[in-house]
Amino acid sequence: MPGGHRRASSAFLVPGPIAMATTATPKAPTAYDLKLALPLGAFLAVFFVAPLAVLFLLSLQSDPKGTSYGLSQYGNFLGDAFSLGVLGSTLLLGVKVTALSFLLGYPVAFAYTRVGARLKSLIILIVLLPLLTSVVVRTFAWIVILGRQGIINSALLSMGLISTPLKLLYTESGLVVALAQVQMPLMVLPLITAIGRIDPNLTDASAALGSGAWRTFFKVTLPLSLPGIIAGSLLTYAAAITAFITQSLVGGGQMLFMPMYLYQQASTLQNWPFAAAISIIFLVAVLAVVTLFNLLGRLSRGVASA
Amino acid sequence: MDFSRRQLMQTALTLGAMQAFPGLSYAQARPLVFATFTGSWEEAHKAVLVPAFRKMTDNAQIVLDPMLSVDQIAKVTAARANPPIDVMLHDPGPALIAIADGLVEPYPVAKSAYYKDLISEAQVDTGPAPFFQVVGLTYNPEVIKTPPTSWADLWKPEYKGRVGITNLNSTLGTGFMVEIAKMHGGSEANIDPAFAAIDKLKPNLAAVAANPGALATLFQQGQIDISPGNFNAIQILKAKGVPVEFVAPKEGAIAFKTTMHIVKNSPNQELAFKLIEAALSPEVQATLMASPYLIVPTNGKVPMTGEIAKVLAKDTDELKKKFVFQDWKAINAQRSAWIERFNREIRI
Repeated sequence: MPGGHRRASSAFLVPGPIAMATTATPKAPTAYDLKLALPLGAFLAVFFVAPLAVLFLLSLQSDPKGTSYGLSQYGNFLGDAFSLGVLGSTLLLGVKVTALSFLLGYPVAFAYTRVGARLKSLIILIVLLPLLTSVVVRTFAWIVILGRQGIINSALLSMGLISTPLKLLYTESGLVVALAQVQMPLMVLPLITAIGRIDPNLTDASAALGSGAWRTFFKVTLPLSLPGIIAGSLLTYAAAITAFITQSLVGGGQMLFMPMYLYQQASTLQNWPFAAAISIIFLVAVLAVVTLFNLLGRLSRGVASA
Repeated sequence: MDFSRRQLMQTALTLGAMQAFPGLSYAQARPLVFATFTGSWEEAHKAVLVPAFRKMTDNAQIVLDPMLSVDQIAKVTAARANPPIDVMLHDPGPALIAIADGLVEPYPVAKSAYYKDLISEAQVDTGPAPFFQVVGLTYNPEVIKTPPTSWADLWKPEYKGRVGITNLNSTLGTGFMVEIAKMHGGSEANIDPAFAAIDKLKPNLAAVAANPGALATLFQQGQIDISPGNFNAIQILKAKGVPVEFVAPKEGAIAFKTTMHIVKNSPNQELAFKLIEAALSPEVQATLMASPYLIVPTNGKVPMTGEIAKVLAKDTDELKKKFVFQDWKAINAQRSAWIERFNREIRI
């Protein structure tokens, strides 16, 4: 975190004798008043922390009527291979979507830093355009693209490559592709920032010292863009696994992921305690993945500064 | 006109307070709040039921607050003593939950002018059914030239990869499963035959939609050509030019009662009663039966006309013969187990 660094370094910069000479302890010029964060803090406390606490309490009820309390809902989930399977496939779905977004998004971000101003604004427009339309609209577009009479199938049919339409909608690969596109801006924007920050002299130096383009990319550009990769992956991952609308419209009713599982229990079955337990478990699982990403991020800073 | 700064300030503050605490202005006379369903339901109720209610009550204030059944139950449960809703609208499953949880007032049958005219299935003293929803087979007439006649047609080998169903989250999906169970010797209490039958349907399944609305999209995209479907939803699609037809299978179309309930502790009991009376009245039901709404009437005094007479039933006697009503008490008792099982077993 940049704030942390700055505060630590400013403490080193204040020489001891001066600090002792003044009567009141001087405020470091970069220190900011925590009180400024109070409105947001209060807002989060009321609208985020409190509901979360209620959710947690709810998850401790043994039955929807709340006659007794315990950890039985968690036991039900964690002791059930099917539920664990749903959790696993959701987390895996996120990995697939993130990987695809990365593979497709990195070249775009890389190209962005190496083209002229006019092309730059065009790329930014294309990247941002999906963000300006609602997820529902984007998802319906994918239904039109992937359907039996959709763009892909009719193109393949008219070229004579297939004789019957392929099943693309309501398949996991269709879902991964759709989610990757829907969440793409979340991957590309941090990448553009990270790659744009890399000093071009470094790649020139690498080339001057005899490295080929690929070697320069893998040894210099890719490691230095790691912070952007981590940030982009984190955002894409979190958005992909919780994308209830896209998951249910493109994935269909037979593919069960955590958001739909939660909805089913809470809404159709009115089993709020189990639904609450599912959300807490999902939250913890996602936090674990985020922590993992952050660890990678810390490692990447080591690489970047080495 | 001259405003002093103080007057302006006062007015602004009052308006602001009313905005911030709507309870202030409602405290004396809150308008009747009717939680209808979203979409075509809201449209139909806004256009037909609300004007009829206003006429009946000398322009009493009414607010439509459309939401899902389950959300209605959640909201009323959260504020039992002072419920934010006066009249609830429910499918059979949620209706039983609301009744069991003690959220509804018994309907004042003795006072009602229309209750006795309802066909017997619609006479429910915890809240009568002004509307029926009907589920039958829907198909694409451009692809399927001979109209299907039975639920069993879904299993025909020629529909390989062309059939759509929904999962059990919806009333439609659940009702369909019960019908399939009955067809194979099961019942509301014994769903096993339905699961065995759906297992055999897998080669034909093109899609298991997450909700009935998604089925409509799949028809539009040519992803499926035949599926169980809701009569009203199909009429809306048809009106938009999608090639789709509805047929009542020979085993009988599944009918769901959609009931209206006076909420317990509602401050507007009398107006709530009047709204439900309006919904039961032959005038409102006859208008709602006409295009574009095509809602099946439950009042025996309403003669069947139009598309409903053509496709569903000519009169109440035929309607009773052709419609199948299911035992939602038995269904509710096991529904969560079925959903669980559907999650696990139906993977294509």
